Amino acid sequence: MKRRHFLLSASVLGLAVLAPSLTRAAESLAVLLPPWVTLPKEMTDTYTGGGLDIQTLGWDEIRTKIVTSMLANTAPASVTEMDWSWVGQFGSAGWYDPLDALLTDELKADLPTTSIFTYDGKLIGVPYNNDFRVLIYNAAHLTAAGVAVPKTPAELLAAARAVKAAKIADYPIALPLSASEGAATAWYLLTKAFGGDLFDADFKPLFIDPASAGYQAMAFEIAALNEGLIDPASTSLKDVEVQELFKAGKATFDVAGWAGNLAVYTDPAKSQVAADVAAALMPNVNGKSRTFGLPGALGIPMNAENKEQAAGFIQWMLEPATMEANYRLLGNLPTRLSVLKTVNEAGNLKQGDVLIAQAEVVEPLFAQGTPGWYPEFSGAVATALNAAAKGQLTVDEAVAQIAAAAATAQE
Amino acid sequence: MTLRIRPPRLGRLRLGRDARLGLALALPVALIMGGLVFLPLLSTLFDSLFRVEPMKPGSPFVGVRNYTNLLKDSTVNAAWITTAIYVALAVFIETVGGLAAALLLNRIKIGRRWLLAIVVLPWCLPPVVNAIIWMWIYNPSYGLLNGLLLSAGIIDTPQVWFNNRETGLLLVSVVHAWRMMPLTVIILLAALQSIPAELYEAARLDGATGWQRLRKITLPLIAPGLAIALSQSTVFAVNLFDEAWILNGASLDTRSVIIQVYVLAFQNMKFSSGMALSVLTMVISLAVSMIYVLRVYRETRFE
Amino acid sequence: MSRRFKHLPGQVGLCLGVALLVLWSVGPVYWSFVTSITPPNALVSDNLHFWPQTTTWEHYAKLFGATSTSQGNEVASVWPQFSRAFANSLITSLAATALVVIIAAFGAWAFVRLEFPGRNVLFVLVVATLAIPAYTVMIPLYRLMISMGLIDTYTGVTLIYVSAFLPLALWLMRSVYQAMPLSLEEAAWLDGASKLRAFVQIVLPLAGPGLVACGILTFLSAWGQFMVPLVFSPTLATKPLTVLIPEFVTRNYVDYGLMNAAGIIAILPPMLLVLFLNRYLVSGLMAGAGK
Repeated sequence: MKRRHFLLSASVLGLAVLAPSLTRAAESLAVLLPPWVTLPKEMTDTYTGGGLDIQTLGWDEIRTKIVTSMLANTAPASVTEMDWSWVGQFGSAGWYDPLDALLTDELKADLPTTSIFTYDGKLIGVPYNNDFRVLIYNAAHLTAAGVAVPKTPAELLAAARAVKAAKIADYPIALPLSASEGAATAWYLLTKAFGGDLFDADFKPLFIDPASAGYQAMAFEIAALNEGLIDPASTSLKDVEVQELFKAGKATFDVAGWAGNLAVYTDPAKSQVAADVAAALMPNVNGKSRTFGLPGALGIPMNAENKEQAAGFIQWMLEPATMEANYRLLGNLPTRLSVLKTVNEAGNLKQGDVLIAQAEVVEPLFAQGTPGWYPEFSGAVATALNAAAKGQLTVDEAVAQIAAAAATAQE
Repeated sequence: MTLRIRPPRLGRLRLGRDARLGLALALPVALIMGGLVFLPLLSTLFDSLFRVEPMKPGSPFVGVRNYTNLLKDSTVNAAWITTAIYVALAVFIETVGGLAAALLLNRIKIGRRWLLAIVVLPWCLPPVVNAIIWMWIYNPSYGLLNGLLLSAGIIDTPQVWFNNRETGLLLVSVVHAWRMMPLTVIILLAALQSIPAELYEAARLDGATGWQRLRKITLPLIAPGLAIALSQSTVFAVNLFDEAWILNGASLDTRSVIIQVYVLAFQNMKFSSGMALSVLTMVISLAVSMIYVLRVYRETRFE
Repeated sequence: MSRRFKHLPGQVGLCLGVALLVLWSVGPVYWSFVTSITPPNALVSDNLHFWPQTTTWEHYAKLFGATSTSQGNEVASVWPQFSRAFANSLITSLAATALVVIIAAFGAWAFVRLEFPGRNVLFVLVVATLAIPAYTVMIPLYRLMISMGLIDTYTGVTLIYVSAFLPLALWLMRSVYQAMPLSLEEAAWLDGASKLRAFVQIVLPLAGPGLVACGILTFLSAWGQFMVPLVFSPTLATKPLTVLIPEFVTRNYVDYGLMNAAGIIAILPPMLLVLFLNRYLVSGLMAGAGK
């Protein structure tokens, strides 16, 4: 009896020591991607560079995984997802290899969003999954209210009032105002719509002056909320939840609409307004539409194994055939303008002409490249904006608080 | 490899049979806890004395500066207050509700097996799923909570629950307590079952009321279990993360200390500050638990 | 028996208490189930129904079916991933439970009945680790696991679970053994049995309820783990359900129906285990109370 129990615990400990040596997998390229890039077999069959070990993780989790691994001096995978918002942090930490040599000049010209992934003059991520903001609206609502598609923020407000007055929608404007990243990016977008930028070339805030675009953008959001044009519930709704309101036909405008979302909005299985959805260029005070891109890219961690193979995988992901399949099978918008056009010509792009026109004017949120303190800054924006929407802060106090947070973050 | 230790040659120190057996049985505990908890903990304590920020070159020794900076940070202090509120609310709900449920279960004779399984149900849900279910219940537009209160006539218009800090804190605590209460129930039920029935019989013959029996017999006898349950719920409440994060993101209104750790270390990449804050969290939850354990043990020296 | 009936108000109170307890425990889970069988479009309708007007099994079909849709497109089935993650969750949770129960059963007894150097210090230190937040040790632990080649192995994740849940089990078992009269064992010693033999033959069977309680606590804690496997189980080789389910949140679309369906499936194994072990838990508790 006695011996058996001892042997049991001993063998358990023994197993613990022996097991790892038995479980090393065969060499294949490890790739860490978000769930919406779970490449189906049809696609991976066309990849000829050897074995692929595709690992997917939820969106918030990918970042946690990368940071943990890199702090422990190991690569999370040979190729990983790289979000536009991580560029400054990962770039200044020196965690990713420069990839400039990977792209020909011709390819660079076809990828208008590479500047978003350039840190300190080096390209550390290659954009493969496009996303940018457009104005998405419910055409039936506008027709019923008898208003035209707005081209300026003022027209947007007027159209929303008309829709509300006609009792077509209680809260025509769908805009997230919770303390979340989606609320912050919507404000950045509106800042561009009001004809300005967040920071000057030295990263000094440009949104404190009441005449500034940033200030007006926030005042616009708060006024629309107080006027009853935005659902009061928005202060606790994230972007995806606000989109549910639009899908249910309760809102007329998805102001900070995601280009990639049109495919979902026009799907009758997922949206109650599938037949009425249309897109338009982002309204702007100057008449010329501006928007910013939030693409996803692929990067190679500096301590990755099989770097040559990794580079080959990225090049494969950029091939027109792969990009087309990526859109057709998974709904990920191509980053190459030429591919976007091909898909549109084949009639496979919902609201394709608008998307292509908007894609051509996509700019990065930060002309100098996303700074390392972006997440801290953006967190402060979300919190201040949320507090202003709940009436805890005035717009003046909110922009002052954001400016102070930006200064702290830049230290 | 075997753990059967031949009489050891420990020089002058001669261990008896009992001591050797005891050491052999405690060895797996010491190995696992030492290797997987204490070693990493020491490493973190060491790291927290340096400036480990991947975005800045080098990692100079900074002494306790990471800690002193935290004390000056108003966001961190606000997170402490939020966590204190979570602890107070969650521990209260779990202990009172858990004790009531355990007493109830202890009196049920028929179908207790099924009732116990039902009580444990909330805990079977992975926290991730748990938070999603509640997010859907609290949803301001389509949520069950608004629907119920509207149809009962308690409120006139749908409420946006997280617009109000107090409501937000309460709702997050409820979600946490809903999931963690079964732990308290099981621990207390195990303690209740170890009380000999004769004690109650004797008290009843002496004419003691139900309340007296609870105060004079039940509570003192389950005190060790209560101490375990209390310190467990405290530790879990101090470490509250998933519920607040999924329900209300990084909002300052509901930001707990552990969310602050995550924001510092993984979002702002100020790794050593995050680690210093997590060490402080550990010290505080340890201190609070110690208070319970010591108090409960002191008050229950009943022999 | 006849005395029972004198306490009719008490009986009513008891029933009320039971009803309240059931409602509190089952209500949200029931709502999750309702959500999982409601068609996506009906989820965002204005009227609340306690039972959906039209039910659908499409969310479950997505989990078990041969094909699935993602963002409006047909993609490969999630079943291979789902079943694999399900098995991973089961394997790591069961392995951790078995190890914790065995180590705690013997270890806690040693802490109570055997004098050995460092006994109290070790016990206090081990129990104190309960207060350590996961983030505190995560990165050093990651380095350690890499150096031992234990990343993405069942062994690695299981060992971490054991280190996390052993303290509570030890503490619980220690209080169980402390509550047992020493006289039981002493009688056996007088008959010439060794301490270990007396423990295994007499004490261990009586400690059944405590051990089952420890097992349930450990299994449930391990089953719900998220942060640890997120970092230590990167691939489907060991990735559990808790890490897989959040991946159903696509960037453009939160599939509440699918997530609730996955959640309902994820409840089943711990539920079955609790039901199964409950038999022993309850009978053990009853036997203990009767004596």
